[in-house]
Amino acid sequence: MNEMTMIDRDVTTGTLKISARKAQVYYGETHAIKDVDIDIEDKMVTAFIGPSGCGKSTFLRCLNRMNDTIDICRVEGQIQLDGQDIYDPKVDPVQLRARVGMVFQKPNPFPKSIFDNVAYGPRIHGLARNRADLDEIVEKSLRRAALWDEVKDRLQAPGTGLSGGQQQRLCIARAVATAPEVLLMDEPCSALDPIATAQVEELIDELRSNFSVVIVTHSMQQAARVSQRTAFFHLGNLVEFGETGDIFTNPSDPRTESYITGRIG
Amino acid sequence: MADRPTQQAPTQSSGTSNPEKDSGHEKHIVSSFDRDLETVQARIMKMGGLVEAAIMNSAKSLETRDEELAERVRADDAAIDALEEMIQEETSRIIALRSPSAVDLRVILSVMKIAGNLERIGDYAKNIGKRTSVLAQVPPVSDSASALRRMAREVELMLRDALDSYIQRDQELARDVIERDLEVDQMYNALFREFLTFMMEDPRSITPCMHLHFIAKNVERMGDHVTAIAEQVVYLVSGDRPDEDRPKADNTSLTS
Repeated sequence: MNEMTMIDRDVTTGTLKISARKAQVYYGETHAIKDVDIDIEDKMVTAFIGPSGCGKSTFLRCLNRMNDTIDICRVEGQIQLDGQDIYDPKVDPVQLRARVGMVFQKPNPFPKSIFDNVAYGPRIHGLARNRADLDEIVEKSLRRAALWDEVKDRLQAPGTGLSGGQQQRLCIARAVATAPEVLLMDEPCSALDPIATAQVEELIDELRSNFSVVIVTHSMQQAARVSQRTAFFHLGNLVEFGETGDIFTNPSDPRTESYITGRIG
Repeated sequence: MADRPTQQAPTQSSGTSNPEKDSGHEKHIVSSFDRDLETVQARIMKMGGLVEAAIMNSAKSLETRDEELAERVRADDAAIDALEEMIQEETSRIIALRSPSAVDLRVILSVMKIAGNLERIGDYAKNIGKRTSVLAQVPPVSDSASALRRMAREVELMLRDALDSYIQRDQELARDVIERDLEVDQMYNALFREFLTFMMEDPRSITPCMHLHFIAKNVERMGDHVTAIAEQVVYLVSGDRPDEDRPKADNTSLTS
């Protein structure tokens, strides 16, 4: 009876992309992430949900060493990308971040033209052989971010002149332009209207065929819509991690249930 | 995209094509939502096909006194039940994950109800299979089995049209199905009186007649469930519940 496509919620692709073991994060004296063990699979959207200050963004930032830029931040434990410890001294954080791209909560376009914003990454990483290649990458990236039609006639205009929602999609285009293996998204839709949000969600679903996507979101409905697996963080602990449908219909931990039904926050 | 397309009188649209109701078929920006909705509706159609077969086979087994076929109807009900369970799980998942609204919500609600109706129809067919196994052991009573088969045939056609109207979002066809339940009720009435007469004439016919009567009642109930499915279609397309004043002819409960 399973010959028809089961609702598209396969929970395993069998290939591990990122795995964390006993990950700890300290901000000075504050123990922000406690003993997090998680396996993030390739070609899958993983959502992190949890109340403010639960550590989900902190943990997300560990995955491409964005916490390195914070002086008082200390990361312990092991975080591996494709079996390699990303906190190994031999790993170049810049190279790591090319493989693990990121989109932030607030749009942060470079003070450059729309074209240059997207072309920046491919240029410094030498992904385009010539101008035509670069044009193609820029167009493709802008299309994937559902922005192309709105900006195709003013690619040389400054990126900062776009509306907030357009800037955010520009940042997504910039992030996908370098073809990262993992895309980290920290509240990518909080500045977008519902239609742009739906477009970004469709984009995320599409990106899943090539990359692994990890998204932090305050909107539980968004986590429910876009992800295949959901992790619930609370007070620095990873409380529950499982298939999104199970988390939202029948969570096993009472704290998860309370949070997703709006009883604790 | 989600708003109801038109508030004008629904009587204007006719036939099977229904262009002004097409907004429900417009694609969502998030295409996986469409896939989810299509999958669950495809399952309803599959379930409908199995239930149609169960109705026909149960009535055929009764008329031809085919115990093997009756046995198969009983066994096949497990597949219908399994599909219903799967549909319930998937619809609850869609509600939890996608918070459907407007026409999407009506689709999901109608899917849940239709699955429940189909499952009940399947159970009635299974019950006919059970009674057929008993009836095959005793001499036939008149030609009521043929009448029952005609009645089942009518219900099966109604179900087919109800499912067609569901897929095509054709509320005219659905309303037609609702009207046709009257005929099924009348057939049941006639059979009820016939069985009553047989039983009064010959007490030895009481056992088979009781079974036959339950079978007739089962088919009549099937018709009610098909009507409920058609009502879901009307609700899905128009957002209105059909009036309760549809013609009814099952007045056997008043027989003294």
